[in-house]
Amino acid sequence: MNKPAKNWIYRHSYNARICHWITVVSFVYLLYSGIMIFLQFPELYWGKVGFQGYPAIFRLSDWGLSWEEADALGDRRWGRNYHYLFAWVFVFNGIVYLGWNAWQKSFYQKIFPTRKELSVAHLKTEFIRHLRFKAAIGREAERYNVLQKLSYLVVLFVLFPFMIFTGFAQMPAFTAISPELIDLFGGRQTARTLHVICSVALVLFIVIHLVEVMVAGAINQIRSMVTGKYEVPAEISEES
Amino acid sequence: MKKQEEKRKEITLTRRKLLTRTGALSGILLTGCDTQFYRPPTIRDGLMGVADVLTMASQRLLLSKQQLVQEHTVSEITKDFPVWNQSNPEDEEYQRLRAGDYREWRLPVTGMVNQPVSLSLDELKRIPRRTQTTMHICEQGWSAIAQWTGAPLSSVLEAAGGIKNGARYLVISAYGGWYEGYDMFDVVHPQTILAYGMNGKDLPLGNGAPVRLRVERHCGYKQIKFIKSIQVVSSMEGFGRGTGGLNSDFGFHWYAGA
Repeated sequence: MNKPAKNWIYRHSYNARICHWITVVSFVYLLYSGIMIFLQFPELYWGKVGFQGYPAIFRLSDWGLSWEEADALGDRRWGRNYHYLFAWVFVFNGIVYLGWNAWQKSFYQKIFPTRKELSVAHLKTEFIRHLRFKAAIGREAERYNVLQKLSYLVVLFVLFPFMIFTGFAQMPAFTAISPELIDLFGGRQTARTLHVICSVALVLFIVIHLVEVMVAGAINQIRSMVTGKYEVPAEISEES
Repeated sequence: MKKQEEKRKEITLTRRKLLTRTGALSGILLTGCDTQFYRPPTIRDGLMGVADVLTMASQRLLLSKQQLVQEHTVSEITKDFPVWNQSNPEDEEYQRLRAGDYREWRLPVTGMVNQPVSLSLDELKRIPRRTQTTMHICEQGWSAIAQWTGAPLSSVLEAAGGIKNGARYLVISAYGGWYEGYDMFDVVHPQTILAYGMNGKDLPLGNGAPVRLRVERHCGYKQIKFIKSIQVVSSMEGFGRGTGGLNSDFGFHWYAGA
């Protein structure tokens, strides 16, 4: 029997690929430097004020790492310098990505779900398929599935901006630039806590994202994000 | 004779105008094509320096109207305001002044000012005071609210006859060895005060008695405590490593608004 010819498609534009990897690098730095900063003040509070001795809503010491141990692991001098450096990289990268794609019709087709995809029946089917770790094949594999689309939309337009604005709300200059922003989040300490919670949500997204890459075929997926070329998985399993 | 007196009056008036009306001063300072308020005294190498300038320039643009920071209500004042870092300088002179209830304490204001002075605590308190209830934000992550009372830094410079042309930075040295530099953008802000009162009482020891700086819009490490002297200079060269302050000598951002 002849092997079926490989079906290649061009999946990711230059822009998407370059911006994806810059996001990867800056996110790794932002996360690591954020942890370095957090370790030297490993408590979270709610409201406007909070300090050592003030009722905390989260204490790392309750989870087995004492204040002194955490402090020794952290490095906020390094952390602050790199956090701001990569925040700028991240922001410029985001502007380039969105600025470029806002004019591309294909972007909206690629990332926004259709009305049909948003039907309860379809969502349910997709959800079950994901729970079974079954990869999409054939035509379905050529485009993003609905859960993928929704999660990318949430990350791009909800979580990323939320990180940036809760970041602003922690900056002393914003007590003059826009105290309303700080109040909107419920105070400086709440903004800090939400910043941490949102970063945990992003880490969860990345864990799921990586699992899905494995399920869908790591080599094919990563190659497509580097070269743009993607081999569409043949619908063999259905036939056999 | 009369004419001369009038002229002198005029000069003092312009000088007064220049320094008391911080709005006017900042206007003069900002309308120049000078980019000095958009960058730290020393720009670090590589991308780190680029990021520093981007952060400072973007925030300074957003702050260009010299808006006041948010003030809180008295009921929001934090009980047990933290005492952080230096709480009692191991300095012979400081301990002698402290034993004497700071009656001997003097604040020399020197450098590029027209009439260098040395102010006592009483003289400082005679300058029309400003009281503000603001949030202290520590770079480490904590925040607390307190009410501060003190003399506006711009009025203190006025008491020293105003600043000379070319003056760019104000350097505050503290007992215990700390020093920190500030540019005129922050010096002229109405809420930049030399605070001698906290929550209606004298400034406590742990919070920097007898006088500390409140330079709102910046992290806690810019709010220098245990003030010893003030110098107005044209350049930060010759102070520590020349980066503009002890914090930035250690590798922290000189501009601490972020």
